[in-house]
Amino acid sequence: MARKDLLDIASLHREEIEFLLDQSTSFKKLFTHSVKKIPALEGKSVLMLFYEASTRTHSSFEVAAKRLSAEVTNFDVAHSSITKGESVRETIETLQAMRTDYIVVRHSHPGLPGMIARQTTASVINAGDGAHEHPTQALLDAFTIREKFPDPRGKRVLIIGDILHSRVARSTSTLLQKLGIEVAYLGPGSLVPKYVPESIPRFTDYEAAMAWAPDVVYLLRVQMERQDVQFFPSVREYHRVYGITTARLAEIRDKGLYIMHPGPVNRGVELCDAVMDYERSLITNQVENGISIRMAVLDWLTPGGEFPKQEAYAARQKASSPVIMP
Amino acid sequence: MLLLQNARIASENSPVLLEGDVLIVEGKIQEIGSNLAVPKEARVIDARGRVLMPGMFDAHVHFRAPGFENKETITTGSEAAINGGITGVVMMPNTRPAIDSAAVVATVLENAKHRSRIPVYTSGCVTKNREGKELAEIEGMHRLGVTMLTDDGDTTSDPAVLLRAMQYATEFGMFFASHCEVPELAGPRALNEGVMSYRLGIKGSPSCAEEIIIDRDIRLARAAGAHVHIQHVSSKLGMETIRWWKSRGDVKVTAEVAPHHLLFTDEHIGDYDTNYKMNPPLRTQDDCDALLEGLIEGVFDLIATDHAPHTPFEKAQDFISAPNGITGLDTALVSLYHYFVEPQKFGWDLVVKRYSAEPRRLMGLPVAAIEVGQQAECVLFDTEAETTFTRDFMKSKSQNTPFIDQTLKGRVDMVILGTEILLERE
Ligand SMILES: [Zn+2]
Repeated sequence: MARKDLLDIASLHREEIEFLLDQSTSFKKLFTHSVKKIPALEGKSVLMLFYEASTRTHSSFEVAAKRLSAEVTNFDVAHSSITKGESVRETIETLQAMRTDYIVVRHSHPGLPGMIARQTTASVINAGDGAHEHPTQALLDAFTIREKFPDPRGKRVLIIGDILHSRVARSTSTLLQKLGIEVAYLGPGSLVPKYVPESIPRFTDYEAAMAWAPDVVYLLRVQMERQDVQFFPSVREYHRVYGITTARLAEIRDKGLYIMHPGPVNRGVELCDAVMDYERSLITNQVENGISIRMAVLDWLTPGGEFPKQEAYAARQKASSPVIMP
Repeated sequence: MLLLQNARIASENSPVLLEGDVLIVEGKIQEIGSNLAVPKEARVIDARGRVLMPGMFDAHVHFRAPGFENKETITTGSEAAINGGITGVVMMPNTRPAIDSAAVVATVLENAKHRSRIPVYTSGCVTKNREGKELAEIEGMHRLGVTMLTDDGDTTSDPAVLLRAMQYATEFGMFFASHCEVPELAGPRALNEGVMSYRLGIKGSPSCAEEIIIDRDIRLARAAGAHVHIQHVSSKLGMETIRWWKSRGDVKVTAEVAPHHLLFTDEHIGDYDTNYKMNPPLRTQDDCDALLEGLIEGVFDLIATDHAPHTPFEKAQDFISAPNGITGLDTALVSLYHYFVEPQKFGWDLVVKRYSAEPRRLMGLPVAAIEVGQQAECVLFDTEAETTFTRDFMKSKSQNTPFIDQTLKGRVDMVILGTEILLERE
């Protein structure tokens, strides 16, 4: 089944996920070759539209696109004032006129990549939209876990931190659950909302969460910049209550748990310095796997001359007419 | 002279429709009865099977004038009202300039007189420019007929300012309409805090943001001996707060509910559909059920649409950038019929009482009943026909409504006001 866009994890089928993970395995093998480039996307253009700064995701996509022989253009968002929704629409019209094949977009407004996808023929990849989704991060996380656990069903991943504001938590937990992996959340009460999906156990106490017996602990980056009011008293207290301290690292080492983090790490906040030398830290694996996953995604999507999403959207809008009243 | 034959006449006092002929002479209802003689010069309308009811009255509309005429004007707004069977409205004062002085009120009312075919009333601001700091020149507005004071769109944040305003304006017989929302809790995004806001990754507004101010403003009104009218209630606990205060009986409270809060939940937002973005936000099915209960019980004195037009360009943005609000005048009566009257959730008497009689009483206006001696102000409604809300059908300048392109049961066939037939559909 061909897809035009990758906007979220929620709408991906399990078979599509497995396919992408398998493709990523093949692409990763390329990395050991002396010539790392293949002509899969020769003549195609990839446009990077990053309204939020991100060195990591941005360069990962860029490397992936170039290894597939695509042409990469950066739309200079930083130097223009186009950050508001109205001007985004004008930008979309410009992009559509340029007939670019792929658009990789990051924006602080949830749902905005979807809006772009409905108005362009290009394949749109959501590289993070506010606190909504970050699908390629979820795929690379799953890929990284599957490298350690070839049959990951029944494994347990504890995601620690700011669940409320995290698109990574949303996308990754959705994806892991689709693969049969159990997920739990741990964090301050103000950052782990009570209305998280029922299928995900919610912890606010570190000991209780460890008693749940995770195989992987996944630390989220503490993003002070997203917090319009104080959600916890200080990073010092945060580290003490929810961080991987030196003492906790010893416990994690004893139990043989893996540690993951989407990066960049706030040292001394989520993780103590010693984690950098921990043999079961998968943090650099995640970075490396990001490239092959993004190659798999670019290779998989099919830019179209039509606006299939637009029609699907219109149909959905019709179908979602007020359902009302039992 | 107009003779409507065999109409089913709706009234606030009877759940049963009374069948009869209605003779209108010189804009007044002269006779009601069965098999009335047909005067020679009368135009005869066969109203068999159709419901004849008083014109609706909407006590909460945004006509965007002055200042935002690209969204709506007094003309297009009042035509949308007529299109929906509404023959009188009260405008909210969150315009630019805000309607906060006698001078602006005078301009608005003068415009309304020339640009609308139905009576258009306006409310006035509590504070200058709706800033919540200095009192608006209240007595000056009162002298021009303003009775309702509100900073709608925002809560008058400082309780001391509101209390002083209440103490002052109550002496002129004015009352206060409250938009209830703690801004620090609600944040800038119009989405209920809950499962849906979490899924969409948008900071939600918890219903306690509304409930706190409902309670606060009623307490302030009680302290000032004022009448407070709670606008567009969206939550179950909000409804229960009002119910509790009403049961005490020591403060004058009235309240309104909007059709969209009875009909839609945050689930409808689905894929960031901005036609469901409004403030207060759509909440849960539990809230909808409680609001309906409150309406039937009479906790809500009236239905009002909070008709809030925005241009397609503004609403076509992403969910966060798009402005709050949906239009309601073209669709209100038909949707109330389709979702509530037809499936017998409530009767025509409730519609007439809550959407025609009580809003007029709130404003101190004579009630438009279909009775001998009254001015003819009525709507002929076909319960068997359907209405499709295409863009062409809507008379509002904006069509930001979830009902766009939907077909619902029921149709406003004719709107009569005095000697004029304002609307007649083939
Ligand atoms: Zn309001």
